[in-house]
Amino acid sequence: MASILRVNTLTDASSNNSTAMSTVFGGSGKAWLQHNSSHAIQDSFNFASITDGGTGLTSDATFTSAMVNDDYAISGCAGATTNDDGFWALTAIATTDFNVRCRTHNGNLNDSNNASLVVHGDLA
Amino acid sequence: MASQLKVDTLTGVTTAGSIVVTGEGNSTTTSLQQGLAKSWVCLKGSDTFAVRDSFNTTSATDNGVGDYTTTRSNALANGDYATAGICSATGGGDPHYNFIVENSENSGTKIRTTTALRTYILNARDNQSTNDAPDYSMTFMGDLA
Repeated sequence: MASILRVNTLTDASSNNSTAMSTVFGGSGKAWLQHNSSHAIQDSFNFASITDGGTGLTSDATFTSAMVNDDYAISGCAGATTNDDGFWALTAIATTDFNVRCRTHNGNLNDSNNASLVVHGDLA
Repeated sequence: MASQLKVDTLTGVTTAGSIVVTGEGNSTTTSLQQGLAKSWVCLKGSDTFAVRDSFNTTSATDNGVGDYTTTRSNALANGDYATAGICSATGGGDPHYNFIVENSENSGTKIRTTTALRTYILNARDNQSTNDAPDYSMTFMGDLA
C-alpha cells in the first residue's frame, strides 16, 4: 500500500547524520540527461524531449515538470567527438526549457557524444 | 509540529527503488532516487595527485598529465549516466584555462563503463594540450545497478 510520511528531519538510527527534508529536496538534481552526437537521449530524468537544432545546438531541452523560475543551475560535461573537444555555453533559459551550444576550444560548434546536462533548482 | 524520523534505510513501499518527495512549490513531486547524485569526487590534480574527498568512489588513477580515471564502488546500471564537472585554472602569471572532456569514441583510449570514467583536462588557450588542474570535481547522475 502506498503511504505518505510527513517529516521535517531524517536521522540515522544512531541519531547521527541528521538531514532536513529541505536539504534532501534542495540538494536533489531536478533533471539530468545524456545524449549522443545525434542528439538522441540515452538516459534521462525529468526531461520530456530535446531538439537537434543543428550542429552543436541542443534546442528546447524541455522538462516534464517545470522549474519555478529561470534561476536554476545547469552544469554538464561534453564528450569529445573524433578529435574535437567540447564545452557547453547556455544560450536561452526558461522555466520549461533551455538551449545550449557545444563548442570546441576554438569556438566552432560541435556535436558532442556522451553529452551530459544536470539541473539543480526549485520545481514549480 | 516539527518531526524527526530516525531510520537507516529508506525503501519505497510499492516499488523499493522509487520514493517521491514533494517539491519547494508544495505540490509537484519528484523522484528521490533519480535526483540523488550517485557518485562524486574531488581530486587534487597538480603537485601530488590525490583524492580530496569523494562519495561512492573506490579509486582514482593519474594516467598522465591531465588524464584521470575514477572508479565507482557501486556500479551504475549502464554507461548512459550524466556527468557534470569543473576544474580550476592552472596558476601562475599566465593562467591556463582548463575544461574537462572525455576522449573521442574512436581514440582507443576512451573509458566509460558502469564503474569507470576516464577524462582529460584540456587547456583552452594552448591548442588543447592536456593540463593538470589543482582542483577537479565530477558528479555522476544516473541509475545504480
